[in-house]
Amino acid sequence: MDFLLNPYYLQIIMFIIINAILGISIYLTMATGQLSLGNAGFMSIGAYVSALLTLKAGVPLYVAVPVGGAAACLMAAVIGIPTTRLRGIYLAIATLGFGEVVRVVILNLTITNGALGLSGIPSMSVMLSKVFTAMGLAAGIGGMSVRQLGNISVIFILAIILGFLVFFALRLSTSRLGRAFAAIKADEHAAEVSGIDTRYYKLLAFFMGAFVAGIAGGLAAHITFYIGPKDFAYHRAVEILLFAVLGGSDVVWGPLLGSLILTLLPEVLRFATEYREMIYGGILVIMMAFRPQGLISEDTLGFWQKKLMSKSEASTQGEISRRTTR
Amino acid sequence: MVRISKNMRKNWVVCSLIVVMMIILGGCGSSEKPANQGGTSAGGTAKLGVVSYLTGAGAAYGESIRHGLELSRDEINSKGKVKLELIFEDSKGEKNEAINAVNKLIHKDDVLSILGPTLSGEMFAVGPIVNQEGVPIMGTSLTVEGITEIGDYVFRNSLPEFAAIPQSIKKAKEKFNLKKVAVMYSDNNDLGVSGFKIFQKSLKEQGIEIIAIETFADKNTDFSAQLTKIATLNPDAVVVAGLYQEGALILKKAREIGITVPIIGNNGFNSPQLIKSAGSAADGAIVASPWYPGKDDVKVKEFIAAYKAKYNKEPDQFAAQAYDALQIMAIAIEKSGSTTDRKKLRDTLATIKDYSGVTGKFSFDEKRNPAMDVTVLVVKDGQFTELK
Repeated sequence: MDFLLNPYYLQIIMFIIINAILGISIYLTMATGQLSLGNAGFMSIGAYVSALLTLKAGVPLYVAVPVGGAAACLMAAVIGIPTTRLRGIYLAIATLGFGEVVRVVILNLTITNGALGLSGIPSMSVMLSKVFTAMGLAAGIGGMSVRQLGNISVIFILAIILGFLVFFALRLSTSRLGRAFAAIKADEHAAEVSGIDTRYYKLLAFFMGAFVAGIAGGLAAHITFYIGPKDFAYHRAVEILLFAVLGGSDVVWGPLLGSLILTLLPEVLRFATEYREMIYGGILVIMMAFRPQGLISEDTLGFWQKKLMSKSEASTQGEISRRTTR
Repeated sequence: MVRISKNMRKNWVVCSLIVVMMIILGGCGSSEKPANQGGTSAGGTAKLGVVSYLTGAGAAYGESIRHGLELSRDEINSKGKVKLELIFEDSKGEKNEAINAVNKLIHKDDVLSILGPTLSGEMFAVGPIVNQEGVPIMGTSLTVEGITEIGDYVFRNSLPEFAAIPQSIKKAKEKFNLKKVAVMYSDNNDLGVSGFKIFQKSLKEQGIEIIAIETFADKNTDFSAQLTKIATLNPDAVVVAGLYQEGALILKKAREIGITVPIIGNNGFNSPQLIKSAGSAADGAIVASPWYPGKDDVKVKEFIAAYKAKYNKEPDQFAAQAYDALQIMAIAIEKSGSTTDRKKLRDTLATIKDYSGVTGKFSFDEKRNPAMDVTVLVVKDGQFTELK
């Protein structure tokens, strides 16, 4: 139990969940085959808007974070509407440029404190600890200190948000909307000919991705006390893209696995000291060489489903048929 | 479908095999290092954590800091009053990595205190966490404002810019009778921006007029536009806030287009690398620093000799400050008489006074910032010399 409650591990779990949310944001835009590198930019808008709202205006967190997401969405409209005509690499470059523009703007505004960044952002776990103390739990419960309790509740809240987003993404893939996305991804011209308003759906996917990235940014700001323009430089954009590339972007589990691996790997490799970065890079190259489609694709899911089914032959015939029709 | 699955399975196996092998290889690479005992340290060895920028663009800073600390540790251990063990963690200059590093040091390695991190942005992120846990942390390279305001457990032994810059402006004014200056600063670097703000303030206090403000960005290589403009205005001096990489290029270009007036820099100029890359153009560059390698002091001379013998390199201010930081830490640990009591260490650290180290006489003020003498240096014939 002590092992699980170690704040070091709790903090890593928080980072994993934040990155998983970012993974979902890139998955949503990639669901229509759009390659967007602007998610770090949207993340920074969400982070700065919600941090400024709580720091300067005293807005409660549960309002500030969604407002941050909405602001990211608004910016997505500014950049998205003129760029949905772009495809593939061209869109990637336009959105990458957009991310850099956002960063430079943040760097030069006085309200964002320029290159110095915003420090002293109210932290979620500290806030929750205070609430628990006010509730008369200052001594903690069941051997847990208030601080651990605060951390665990943060993880709990983050997990709920992530769970909801995963549920949303799963439901989406079997909905009319999701099928339209899939059609656009498979062949945009064919989709258009079949009567799908590709522009509308692509924009929608772009907005959804931006909103989720903005939420992730807001949450990240309130976990780490400090944000600076450096945190959202282009390497962040590439990192987010890597979640989807490494994990696979066909199904929502891909970016989730990607974010899990890519967040855990640097920590697991801490023992290797100077060799850490080398091993990290090496693993990425090898994974890409052997699994260019990402670790999880639809085939992988089908493969494991089949395997599991053959093992559980005892289960009723009805359930199997339901699974296979899926 | 079956064939695809088979292929896929093979790929998975190959993939995971290689990953496992690489991790094992990495493990072998690091196994030569002494293993951690874990838990609280026994036998009077104090475990200290170090978070530093060891890989990435700023790895040169991290390396100097690491060398300074290691040299300091070996000296302290050979004296035998206290035994220190250092655990180094890389932050890559990223705040999330730094947060993970301090959490690991506190909760897994159970360190007594922490030295670092290298960048102020990292400290703003880790400071509140470390302070909350009641672990003393000392920055050895942080010069911006607002660091020790994070909390009672946050210290620094590096002289903040707001203490150094006014000195260099004052001295330069006396010496060169400055009336009007041009200012340049890096606007995408926290050191550049905070340096600029302090320059602006102290220039105003000294009644010196700012006739031009020009900005540049880190990694810029062409400064001719800004400097040509400045050259036409004929300032008495050019003030630059940035890092040495850009500083050296600015010096070169300025001398090339005929700006011969002194160029006053912030802490970023305080590096032997500045002279190395700018060459003879560095002459006339002015910076205020507690670290002065040419100082006529036995301690400084011994330090430089030992450092050169060990690493075959001139120490810079980061190495010197890191060296002193660990010495100060060791004194505090010795005085507090405990290698596990963090609260006691914090209280003892706060009372450190009149320690004389390689960066001069040192005391902590009531806000846990260093109170130390500053030497204003000017580059003359490729050497930092005291501006008198």
